[in-house]
Parts: sequence; C-alpha cells; structure tokens
Amino acid sequence: MSDMLRAPAEVKYADELDWLESVDTGPKPFSWRLSPRMVRLFILGSERADGLDREIPQKWFGDRSFVERAIVTLASDRGLLLIGDPGTGKSWLAELLAAAICRNSTLVVQGTAGTTEDHIKYSWNVSMVIARGQSRESMIPSPIMTAMEQGVVGRFEELTRSTSDVQDALISILSEKYISIPELDRDNIVFARPGFSIIATANSRDRGVNDLSSALKRRFNFVRIPVVTNKRSEAEIVRFRTEELLRRHAIDLDVPPTLLDILLQSFADLRAAGASAASDDEKLESALSTAEQIGVLEDAILHSQFFGDRTLRPETLAGSLMGSLARRSPEDLAILNKYLHGVVEPRAKQDGGDWAGFLDGGRQAIASLS
Amino acid sequence: MTASTGTGLFGALREQLADAAAAFADSPDALAGILAGMVDDVDRALGERLEIFPVCHHSPASALAMLRRLRAKQPTVVYLELCEDLQPLLAELRNCRLPVAVQAFATELAGFPADWAPLSVVAPITEASAEYQAIAYALDTPGVELVLVDRSTDHVFQWTPRSGSGPAPDAPDATAVGTETAEEAALHGDAVGVEIGDLRPRFAELEAYLLHHGKVRHWSEWWDQYVERPLAAADHDTYRQVMVLIGSLFRRLRPGDADRLDRDEDRERYMWTRIRQHLAASGADPADCLYMCGAFHAASRVEQFGLDSAAPEFAISPRTGTNWRYGLIPSSHSAIEAQFGLAPGSVSIAAATWAKSLSRAGLVPYRLDGQPEGTKRSRRGRATPAPAAGGPATDRLTGFLAAPPALDELDEAELRGWCVDIVRLARRNGYLASTADAIAVFETSILLAGLRNRARPTPYDFADAAVTCIEKDVVPGRRDVRRLCEILLGGDRVGQVGYDSLPPLARDVLDRLRPLGLDLEKRTVQRALLDLRADPALPACSDLLWMLRHLLPADAVRPIMGERRLGHRSPQESWDLALGRNQRALIELGYEGVTVEQVLEQRLRRAVRGPDATAAGALAAVEDAIRLLDSPRLVDELGARAVELLAAERTVDDAPDVLRRIRRLLAHHRTTAARLPAWCEAFVTTGYAHYCTLLPTAFVDESTGVRQVGAMLGFLFGMEGLALSLGCDRSQLELAVAQSHPEAPAKVALLWASRHHLGLLPRAELRARCAELLGNPLVVPAFPQYLSGFVHALEPVPGLAPFVVEMMSTAFARLPDPVLLPWLPTLISTLREQGPDLVPLLVREAERTFPGTLPALDAWVPPWRATGQPPPAVPVAPAGPVTALLAARPEAVDAVAALLGCTGEWRRDGPSPAGAAGAAALVAAHPASADAVAALLARVSG
Repeated sequence: MSDMLRAPAEVKYADELDWLESVDTGPKPFSWRLSPRMVRLFILGSERADGLDREIPQKWFGDRSFVERAIVTLASDRGLLLIGDPGTGKSWLAELLAAAICRNSTLVVQGTAGTTEDHIKYSWNVSMVIARGQSRESMIPSPIMTAMEQGVVGRFEELTRSTSDVQDALISILSEKYISIPELDRDNIVFARPGFSIIATANSRDRGVNDLSSALKRRFNFVRIPVVTNKRSEAEIVRFRTEELLRRHAIDLDVPPTLLDILLQSFADLRAAGASAASDDEKLESALSTAEQIGVLEDAILHSQFFGDRTLRPETLAGSLMGSLARRSPEDLAILNKYLHGVVEPRAKQDGGDWAGFLDGGRQAIASLS
Repeated sequence: MTASTGTGLFGALREQLADAAAAFADSPDALAGILAGMVDDVDRALGERLEIFPVCHHSPASALAMLRRLRAKQPTVVYLELCEDLQPLLAELRNCRLPVAVQAFATELAGFPADWAPLSVVAPITEASAEYQAIAYALDTPGVELVLVDRSTDHVFQWTPRSGSGPAPDAPDATAVGTETAEEAALHGDAVGVEIGDLRPRFAELEAYLLHHGKVRHWSEWWDQYVERPLAAADHDTYRQVMVLIGSLFRRLRPGDADRLDRDEDRERYMWTRIRQHLAASGADPADCLYMCGAFHAASRVEQFGLDSAAPEFAISPRTGTNWRYGLIPSSHSAIEAQFGLAPGSVSIAAATWAKSLSRAGLVPYRLDGQPEGTKRSRRGRATPAPAAGGPATDRLTGFLAAPPALDELDEAELRGWCVDIVRLARRNGYLASTADAIAVFETSILLAGLRNRARPTPYDFADAAVTCIEKDVVPGRRDVRRLCEILLGGDRVGQVGYDSLPPLARDVLDRLRPLGLDLEKRTVQRALLDLRADPALPACSDLLWMLRHLLPADAVRPIMGERRLGHRSPQESWDLALGRNQRALIELGYEGVTVEQVLEQRLRRAVRGPDATAAGALAAVEDAIRLLDSPRLVDELGARAVELLAAERTVDDAPDVLRRIRRLLAHHRTTAARLPAWCEAFVTTGYAHYCTLLPTAFVDESTGVRQVGAMLGFLFGMEGLALSLGCDRSQLELAVAQSHPEAPAKVALLWASRHHLGLLPRAELRARCAELLGNPLVVPAFPQYLSGFVHALEPVPGLAPFVVEMMSTAFARLPDPVLLPWLPTLISTLREQGPDLVPLLVREAERTFPGTLPALDAWVPPWRATGQPPPAVPVAPAGPVTALLAARPEAVDAVAALLGCTGEWRRDGPSPAGAAGAAALVAAHPASADAVAALLARVSG
C-alpha cells in the first residue's frame, strides 16, 4: 500500500506507463513520453484487437472522440479547456492526460477567487530578495512556469473561478509561449520548451461568474464533457471508483449489484424529475453527477464498515443518498420526500426486495433531517 | 450448405480461411462453416448466368461501379429490386428535382385491419445512387427495358405481422435530428420506407462491435472508411466479389429472427420468380441482362436462386382489394437519414463524394432527359463504348482481403478549402473565428486522422476538428459548428416534384392560384395580398385558400389578415403561403380526389359519418360547408345527419358546443333566408325533446358537469319560443324541471335559477334561501359552489344577472376567508373559460349596480339593502278639465281598475293649503313692501 493517501496517476500507473513506453513505436510529438495512440490506449484501455501482451484497463469512461480531440489539441498549438458539469470527470481526464504525456500531473494551479497573477507566473522569496536582491534564485516559479521550463503539461483547475484579469495572464503564455521577468536585468525571459501545453478545466455551472475573454477563448480548444446518462457506462464508472475506494481503505465489503442498480435508478429518476421541473425550486441543488453517486456509495460503505455490521444495506444507502442530496431545507427535502412517496413506494410495493428497505431508510433519513 | 473443399475459383482462399479458423477459433467448425460459406456464396453469385450486380443504398461506390458496368455491358434488360407496382412512376422522375420519393398511398383498405389506415410506402431516390443510374440508363436508352421485380407495396403490408398495432414506420432517430432539420426530416411523414440495397448488420451487437473496433461513431462512417473508399476505384470483379462477401457476412451473422428472415427470403423467391417469368415471356438473352439488388440478396441461398434452379416457382399471393394510389413526393437528405437511421449528414457526404469521384474519374453519369437542376451534362458528346466481352471471373477477393488498406493520399487543397470555408461560415453565424482557427482546424484534422489510422482526414475527422477548434462554451447563433460542417459538406438538399408529375388536384390548385402572381413552387413563405373588390379573379382564389386552410397543415396556408365567418367575408385579405414547402401534403391531398372541393366534401361527409361523429362535430361540419363550399344541398345533408346524431346521443358532454353552434347557425339562417331550413327546425324540436328527456338525469349524474347542465338549460330556455312555435309542448320542460332533484350544490343553484325563470320561485324566496345558507355555519363552506351554479345560470337565465352580482357581493362581504380564498381560483378559471359569454353580462350588471366615482361611494347603499326607504312620491296629476271630469265621474275608471284587479283609491285634491291663505292675509295687513315693489317695477318699466 502506498504511503500516499491519493497517489497521482503517474505514480499509481507507473508500471503501466513504463511498459507502454517500452512498446511504443509510434511517432511522438515534441517531448511526449507516449505517442498519441498510446495515450488514448492508456486512458481508454486496451482491446484484444490492439495486439498488446498486457491488458490495459480503462480509466476514463466516456466517448472516445472526446479523448481523441483532447489529445490532438495538446499536440497542437492551443491549450485544452475541458468544460462540463461538476463531477463529470474533467479533472480526472486532465490528470490522466498529463500523466500519460509527460509523467507529471502535479503542476496544478487551482483557480479560486483569491488566485493572483503571481500564482500563474512567478513570485518572490522576500527574505532572499532582501538578502541577495532579485535574481532567478530568489524567484518562485509558478507551476505553469515550471511546466514551461520543463516542456511538460501544466494544469489549471477551475479556470472560471479566478477573476478575468488573472485569466488574461494566460493569454501571453499561450500565444508567445514565454514569460518575461521585467524585474531582472538579464536572463529575464523564460521560454517554453517544446511539449509545453495547458489543460484547464471549467465548470459549466459557473458560467457568468467570470466569463472568459474572447482573446483567451480563442487560445483554447473547448471539449465539453457531458454528464454520463448511459446507465451501463455509469455502472462501470461507479464500480471502478468504488473498487478503488475499497482498496484504498482496505475494506472487505461487498457491494450487491441490486443496490448498485437502486443507486443508479434513483439518480436516473431524480435526473428525469429535474429535467421536467419548471423552476429551480422544484429541482435538487445537486448536479446529480456520477461523482455524486460515487460519493453516496462511499459514504454508505464507510458508514456500514465503521458503524454497521460490515454489510451494505439498502437502509444505509438510502440514508446516505438523502443526506448527500438534501442540501436546502425545505426545498430539497420536499423533492426527496415526493420522490420517496411517488416513485419508491409504488416500486417497493410492486418489487419488494431491497426497494422496501431503501424506502424505510429514506423515510427515517427524511424524518431526522426535517 | 456444405463447403466445397479446395476446388473452384476460390479454392486457395477457402483453404486459407479454413486454416485461419482452425488456428484462431475455439470451435473451428462453426467459424470455418461461416467463412467457407461466405466464399461459397460469392462463388455461386458469380457463377450465375444472369449477371447479379450487388449494391448498397446511398453508396457512391455502388453508383460509380454501376455506371461503369452499364457503360461497359450495355444491358438490354435491367431488373431492379424495387416494388413492381411503382414502375409507371419512374418515368415521372424526369420532371422532378431529386431527391424525391416514389410513394404508394392507400386510405381505403380492403384485407388489412382498418386501424392501419392510411398506408403509405416511400422509396426515396437520390442522384448518387446506383438505382438512379440504372433507371436513367434504362429509360433514356432506346431498346432497354427496366423491370421492377420486388414484391408490390400491397405485399409489403400483407407480409407485415398483424399481432402488433400496425405497420410501424421506420423510427427516425430523434436525437440525431436537429431542431432546424426537423422540418425537412419529417418530409416522409409516417410512411414505411423501402430502399434498394439495405446493407447493415442485422443485430445491434455486431454493429456495435464493428463501430468499436473500427474506432468510428456511426455506421455510415464505418462503411465510408472500410468499404466505400477502398471500393471507389475498384474494378468490376473486385467490386462484385467484395460486395457479395459483405452481404454474405451480414446474412450469416444474424440472430434467429425468423420473421424478418423469412420475409427477406420470400422477397428473393419473389424476385427470382418474376425474373424467370419475364425472361420466359420476353425471350431476352440472360447474357444481355443485369439484375441489380442489395448485396444481402445477392448472397441468397433460396432454392429459387438462379436461372437454372429446378425449384418450383414461388406462389405469389394475389393483391388485396386495397385501392392504392401512386405519386411522387419531395424528399430530402435529412428525411432519408431520419427514415433509415443513417448518421446526420451522411447522405449529403455521399452526394459530395459522388460528385468528386465523377470528376476524378472523368465520368459522365446517366441523367434523365428533361430533368431540372444543375448543369445538365450533354449526352451527345458521350461516346458509348462497345459492349465489353464478359471475360471469365478471376479471384480478386484474396488479393483485396490480404492487401493492407490503401491509404488515400492527403488531399491538401481540398482540406484547406474546407478549413477556410468553415471559418467563413462560422463567422457568418456569429462565431469569432479567424484565419488562426482555419489553421488550427487543418492541423487538428490531420492529427485526428493520424490518430484514427488514416492519412487523409475524412469529412467526419474534419467535422470533429472544426468542433474542437471553433466551438466554445456557447453557440452564438441558430446553428452550431457540427451543423455548419454538414452544410459545408453538401448541406441538406430538398427535392421537388415538377408540375407535370403532380396529381391533378395539386395542378388544379396551382392553376387556380395563378391570379395571385406568385411562384408557389418556391420553398419560401410568400405573402399574398388580396383586395377582393379590386380584381374579380381574386374572390375565387380566396375561396380556394380558405378551403386549403381547412385541409392542409396549419403552416402551409396561413391567413394574416381577414377572416371568414358565417355571413362574413373580409374585403381584403393577406396570406402567408408555403405550398412549395408543404408539397407532400398537397400531393397526398391529391390521392383523395380530383378537386379540392371534392376532397373537402368527402372529408366533411366522413366527419359526420364516422363512428365517433357527434352532433357538435356535425354542426361544425355544417358551418364549414356554409363557410367554405356554400352548397345548400350538402348543408341540408349534414344538418339532417346532425339531427340524427343528436337524437342518438346518450350523453350531454357536448351540450355547450352544440348550443353555441346552433345559436350561430340559427342567427345566420334568420338573416340570410326567408325561413329556416327544415333541418334547423328539426334540430330545435329534437333538441328540445332530447334535452328535456335528459335533464333530470343530467341534474343527478355526477359525471355531468354544471356547465353541461347550464348549456342544456340554455338550449331549452333560449330556443323555447321557436320550439313552441314548431309544436313542442312547454309542459315537457316543466315536468323535466319538476323531476330534477340534484344534490350537488352547484346544480341545486342551477335548478333554483330555472325554477325562477319558469316563475315557480320568486326572487324574494331565492334571496331568502341564500341568506339561510349563509346563516347556517354548517353549509357556509359549500356556499361558493352554489354561487358557481348561479354563475353558470347566467347562460340560460340572463335576467338573473343582478341577483348574481348581489350574491357575489354578499359572498365577498360575508364569507370567511378560509372558505372564500380557496374558491377564488375556481371562480376565475370558470369566468376565463366562459369569458366571452358570461363576463360582459356580469360586468355590465356590476357597472349598473356599483357607484362609478369615489365620492358616490360614500353615499352608496347597495340596491338590495335599500328596501326600507319610502317609495318615491307619485307625481301629482296636474289640475285640468280631464282631471276634473274624471274626479267628477269616477265610475268608468273604477270599473277598469276592478277589471284589472287594482284596488287603488282616488286621491282627492283638497282645498288650498293653509299656508297659501296665511300669506294672503299677511300681504293685506302690511301692504307697504308690496307697494314699494310695485312702484319700483313701474319706474323701471317707465
């Protein structure tokens, strides 16, 4: 077991990446460690038809063309902006791309309302500046600048959370591919090495908070990642992430397929209800993304492990679901209550089984939350 | 079918495949059987005396191969896999701009379940198709015969299983059709589509597998990459062998779907039987014939396959008595894609590929003489090569399968053109795209193609690249980049049926609308302005437009200004006409009759004769007949039917509608004719008796609403005068009211109102009853329902309006909020629904009752409370000789009063009041002031 709580992809899949690099004979752009086809194979997994001696598991679940478009964008002159609802796997895809292309996915700037231009370019070690004056040694390069110097992929998470003036600092980086340091008299330009690119992510629900300028937009290629609505893919994702979670916590607990079905079905029902809602008050605040499903399942598993009898029960799942989704009172509670009585109750009467337990657990959770 | 071993044309290939099966498969027998069977199929198809030409629908490679083959072989007979009864229509194609669809349509069914009607079959035909090449060649080359050999459209439905709810139209992929293209995609309506050369995996898993491993998203893309492009430049033998091989593959890898398979095999038996019959009848040499069918059917294993088959002829069942009508309707690329589940834009891409392949190969396609659109290539200069001698077939399959895919050279100029054009198009649609984007799209297309194992970006790669580089977070205009790419790569193309190929009705419509001076065949919406007094030709156009308005979809003919009601015609009208865009609807109208009037008459008759016809519907038909056709004969017929329907009705659900319409019709007839038509009189007398009979039941029946009962009473009270004059008996109504004992509060209120109308319940008692309700705390919650009943009673008893206003005011004043507030929405919705009838009445009454100004409000006392005030003084009759005479001789007046039952008394004018005598005495005692006034007056006058 790794001594890191969460190892970055390049560490976690180091074996696989090493092996892929050793068998990769395709042309590689710039200083890429893998060819575009191998990058795609690393992310989407291998098939028998690929003729590899080793099976590469799928790590990101979604349309193949999104991954292809993302890879070719990174091989081109433009930055890549992954845009989509929260929990659609944008950051995970960004991490996998960076890990596959340059074996470093940790050069990340997290966009927040407090992000400044210094976080994107460079800042100064004040003590050293006082002691030795301004020099390259007393300069603290940002992750983006480091990526430029190393010719690797830098990441910018939640680009639209940072203010417009900070965002615009990226324009010159993406066009001219260098950062000038006017404080220095010499050695005052950091040029990007071949292979440098930026993967940014943006939350489509934040639209209108800090809109990107047109100048910045045209320096990024946008790849929109949709919410997964295909039940089969969603089940795959939840299973994949849950297994990882169980492994991480060293939990020996079985997730019954019927409960997984209940979870997927209830999210599908709530999404459908949200789609037909007339106003915001009639839909849950939650985006009902796949990540949230994983969150609900994780919560239920941990609860069963530490406070239950180490068996995942429908009551626990219902409690976790209600607890995770009821964010506003009384609006969200009313919607969930309506869902329990209008959809789950008839289903429990008709099918019985785990749905009945799910209904009981849901009722208890609502009662305790109200 | 057993695989022959190691011999024949494909012996080497067969052995190779058997070895592969043994090496790779877990159960070599099954795989070997499939592989060897495929080779056998190819072998058999090629060995047939009649040349079989396998095709795939909307495939430029098939079209190109067909063109080459026709040129080389010059066959004298071409057999085509298309419904045989569609043959006469094909010559009409020369009047049309493709794509159009050949249609068979039937509304009067015989031998099919009635709920299947109307039946419609379409076979779309595009220019970039092998079938069009064959049709154009056969029709325009003297001495060449075209024979359609597939089952008739009647058999399409004969062979449809009857267990379901009817023949389901091919379901269009709703998600694949954008909003903008929805209109074009719906061009085929609900028709069942037939196509030549349906070639697609027969079960979803196989298709999903091929797409997944081919690393493509759509079947069209897979076909383009793995079959279309490799075969584009292939020679005849390679093309045939590969196509039959693919047909055989899909034939052998299919689920055990017996029904579908049987139908496919029956079709093959049908086609071979027809071919043999034709050859026997015509005596044509099979060597000069060509049989064009889908690759799936080329790999057929039915016993009738081949001219040398000894199997008996397939017994073709006779057609049913269904009356099929045939015509051409416009089609479009998007309609074809939607109908047959193809990827959006794939037919357009096929058309573009076809055009490019032609210019690259320097070929001139066959084209029907006289066909509109584009640059008609001259056929005069075309050298017809001598028929090629058919050499023995050689094995081209082994080489084709063993060779690596020939990578197409990157056509930089073409890609650059696309990139520049897409950026220009994007800019025009609101995107902030620039030359830098064109460069990025170019680069990304090449990178994407490389990632997908091809040197030359396909249109699909290009579209992905354009979306990646140009599409941002929002779509600025109506079209997104993917849609723009579709437009760029050919765009949707909508066909048009030429005037000469239109059915007589459609031609007649266009002829009769000619005075408007518009080109109605255009696909744009055109505005027609009609000043009916200025031009004597225009009223006839207006009549026709109103009829079309009734018969066609709402957006085909839309009045902007002007209306036509009973007895009203606007002197000026303006219309938005989109007949070109709704050509299909107009053509399908033509299947129903020869003139619009005939179709309208039929439809009106059908509306009143159908199993679900109602009296209200029949009255509506009568109105339409008067408004649109002005045919007294038809009006009488429809009216008589309305009377029958009313008498037969057992419910009163439509009573409000019936009342509204018959009132309107009576008013119309009263103003336009000396006397009412017989059917009107019959309707009123029947209705009077009918509603009197049903009234007691309707009052107690829970499922009958207050509105319906109100409308019944409205009919009975409103038409009473007329009904009584026609011989009805009022006691019938009185009895009906007396027998009514409703329990629902609203209906009780209605009953009270009717009793009041009949003079059985004075207003004072009505008021007292309501006051009693309001005073009883147990009944108060139901009071609003009584009030609702009174509101509905305004319809039959308009004289009750002051009372309704009074009760409503009382309710607002006295009802507690928990009772009043929940009822208000009901009141508002009732008034809104019946606003035109009730609201003016109520408002007028309220205006009369309530003060109009603020100061008047202070002194206002509701009229119903003002009962305690003394009656106004009777004016004193002026004294005079008449008064004096009457006072002196009162006997005559007293006698008249006694006769009238009036017990008034004479008021005698007494002696002059005391005040007057006092004044005279005062003036006499003190004359000074009067004298002074007299002197003053005298001075003034002097």
